[in-house]
Amino acid sequence: MALATAHHEAAHAPAHNHLAINRAGLWLFFFSETILFGLLLSARFYLEGIHREELNQALGLLITVILLLSSVTAYTAETAIEHDNKKVASWYLFFTIVLGLIFAGGVAYEWSIAHFHRSESFGSIFFTMTGIHATHVITGVFMLILVWAQALRGRYSSKNPWAVSAVVMYWHFVDVVWVFYYPALYLTK
Amino acid sequence: MRKPMQTGLIVAAILAVLTITEYLFATHVGDDLVRFLGITVSALGKAVLIIYYFMHIYRLWRPQEAH
Amino acid sequence: MYAVKSVAGAMGLGLIGFYLGLGIVAVLRWLFGYPDPWGGEINIIGGWVLGVFLWLMGIGMWGMWGREWFGLKTYQRNLPGWQRYFTFNTDHKVIGIQYLVTFMVVFFLAGALAMLMRAELAQSGNQFLSNSQYNGTMGLHGILMVAVAVAAVIGGIGNYAVPLMIGAQDMAFPRLNALTFWLVPPVAVGLLATPFLGGIEHGWTAYPPLSVFTNSSQVLFSLSIITFGLTSILGALNFIVTIIYMRAPGLTWGRLPIFVWSMFATSWIALLYTQGFAAALLLILLDRLGFSFFEASTGGDPLLYQHVFWFYSHPAVYIMVLPGFGLALEIIAHFSRKPLFAYKYAVAAFLGILGLSGVVWAHHMFTSGMPNYLHGPFLVATELISIPTGLIFLSALGTIWLGRLWLKPPMLFALAVIFNFACGGVTGIFLADVPTDIHLQDTYFVVAHFHYTIVGGEIFALFAAIYYYFPKMTGRMYSERLAKLHFWWMFIGFNATFFLMHLPGIKGMNRRIADFQSELDPLNLTISLAAFLLGASFLVFIWNMVYSWVRGPVAEANPWQVRTLEWQTTSPPPHENFPAPPVVRGGPYDYGVPGSIHATFPSAPSAGFAGAPAGGGQ
Repeated sequence: MALATAHHEAAHAPAHNHLAINRAGLWLFFFSETILFGLLLSARFYLEGIHREELNQALGLLITVILLLSSVTAYTAETAIEHDNKKVASWYLFFTIVLGLIFAGGVAYEWSIAHFHRSESFGSIFFTMTGIHATHVITGVFMLILVWAQALRGRYSSKNPWAVSAVVMYWHFVDVVWVFYYPALYLTK
Repeated sequence: MRKPMQTGLIVAAILAVLTITEYLFATHVGDDLVRFLGITVSALGKAVLIIYYFMHIYRLWRPQEAH
Repeated sequence: MYAVKSVAGAMGLGLIGFYLGLGIVAVLRWLFGYPDPWGGEINIIGGWVLGVFLWLMGIGMWGMWGREWFGLKTYQRNLPGWQRYFTFNTDHKVIGIQYLVTFMVVFFLAGALAMLMRAELAQSGNQFLSNSQYNGTMGLHGILMVAVAVAAVIGGIGNYAVPLMIGAQDMAFPRLNALTFWLVPPVAVGLLATPFLGGIEHGWTAYPPLSVFTNSSQVLFSLSIITFGLTSILGALNFIVTIIYMRAPGLTWGRLPIFVWSMFATSWIALLYTQGFAAALLLILLDRLGFSFFEASTGGDPLLYQHVFWFYSHPAVYIMVLPGFGLALEIIAHFSRKPLFAYKYAVAAFLGILGLSGVVWAHHMFTSGMPNYLHGPFLVATELISIPTGLIFLSALGTIWLGRLWLKPPMLFALAVIFNFACGGVTGIFLADVPTDIHLQDTYFVVAHFHYTIVGGEIFALFAAIYYYFPKMTGRMYSERLAKLHFWWMFIGFNATFFLMHLPGIKGMNRRIADFQSELDPLNLTISLAAFLLGASFLVFIWNMVYSWVRGPVAEANPWQVRTLEWQTTSPPPHENFPAPPVVRGGPYDYGVPGSIHATFPSAPSAGFAGAPAGGGQ
């Protein structure tokens, strides 16, 4: 059991082990979420095969690039906080929030110009998958804003990086989901 | 901070390349199987890169970090 | 009385949140130009989300958790006595008892509904329930009992016993633990409110298309179950991390009590599969709002629901029964005064069921019209499950073999688990085989089968655990004579009811229907009488528990002379569980092995704890 390497120090979970415990908990949460997203992905192929309605390809590529870019800024913020570079961290958290909002805006715009309706089965799939993903993005933005507000007040440092790490990991996870959803929704034929 | 940032930028560059590859596979490859494989492999590659380098999954089986 | 004020305030906040949510959605609908801003079920969804959130904040999450999000200092109120059970308390022992009492209440409510159904079914024709009332009763009984089966053992016994058994002070995420419990009251309220919106007509499985077209109680049903799924997932996450990271020094994986192993396997199943139920009901909610996942005329497919639903709901039966097996093995080992037989095989069996649980779901769908080529693989995979289950039986029977059985109430119930589940397992073979299943699908044979496995396997184990841990939880002892009376009464009533229920099933009596052919009248009357007998047995239990909790004689720290860690501390344990952090030196079941010690307390202040009862039971 590779996960258990640290257990001898962990009898009553002394402070230095909290980070490992928190991280394991967050990863388990991701595993669970993966199943939810995976089920929706399977439902998409179960119902529709690889059939797809016409979508705005340029917009799809653009928001994908923006979300990947936001992962890079989030990574920068985390790296900065781990090296006590608080100013850079705050700025990059801010960039991540902005990019996240642009992504959500892009999805909303795609919804508004979609030529199919939710009462068709591709519409059902498309709006549900992008909708649940966008809900996770919006939740992530809310959490990023809370963390950003604390980061501005200098609350995080290399000794206390967990909140930043956690929200950044969540953000990457949402990005990984989109890595699979984007081709499944935009690139099939 | 320089070293991890370099890693991050290299990963970002590969992610960009893979995204373009994926897009080109989808738009320019006619053969169903090749297209499917191209897209899937690119997506999996992107996911692995993000999970390993950005989400630091290896920290799960490393007892403590240095800092 | 701070606790009363706090609960009342939180309920008020929850209600305000509910109406606020309704209103916000209505305003949004009005802004986007929908014709009827108040009329949609989406209003209820908005109200539910905001209501549950504000309820949680009101009950104490704001002070202990929410303030942290804004960089404020958190605080906790530590109330004395009974009041701590009504606050956002993070002590795993308090949460365990909260779960246990809540779900016992739900269990008796749902049991009363079953009595109502049996009264209706005592005779053919409609007695005093209309068809839709019967459906509502049946649906509510089903879903409440599923909730009990999923959460009573895991949430109640698991929360109480697992940290104690592994020598930890608390769970890995105490606040998350409290959160999972306080999500339960809204779920209960939501489910119990369904009769006022017309009642659940679709049973607990909520198959479309009925669930898409039925009355609005479906929305409450879906929202409650999605919330309950969240509870289940977060609780499972907490258990996995706790068992991996919080074990006492020396408590290696090979020395882990078998109940902890079963909880570990169960938690993985709950963590990975519960999303299926939530996703299925989410899609139902969306379909009710005009999507078309399950509407065949616009490209949807009702079978998709069954796949997604059973992807969770078959593993769910292992979520229900694995902790029951764990408890039965645990208790059988202690009360046979022997090392657990084939410990490693039992562990392998739990992990094997964990592995197989995800690939058998479509055996619920043999008659659904799914492609025929799926029948064979799912038949085989389903029957493969009997191998790990058989290993668990091997372990139980090998432990009993030549043991010195101590037939206390917990042991009686644990032995009954083995007997009942054997019956349930044998009838399961008929349902796993496609040819017989096509005949038996949706009859009372199925009802008898799953009551034998879940009630006979899990609920009996739950009662075993309650009788086992009652002295530890309350510090008082119950009347053993009444407990044994309860056991024999319940055992006979249970077997009479559900054994007889196979017979109308074989004759083709459909389940979920208020009426049946009059030839089956005498049989059904007998079943109903046996069911009332079963129901009445719980009155003994309730009296025994309530009276003993208040007036019972004071219990010893270790009344069963058991070696595991939870019995090496006072009854009830102090807040920090142990007088000093324990160090584990040997296996938990080495009864009769000369010189073996399970655990010591190296820095214990008083000599009384220093490894003293660890070799107990000679």
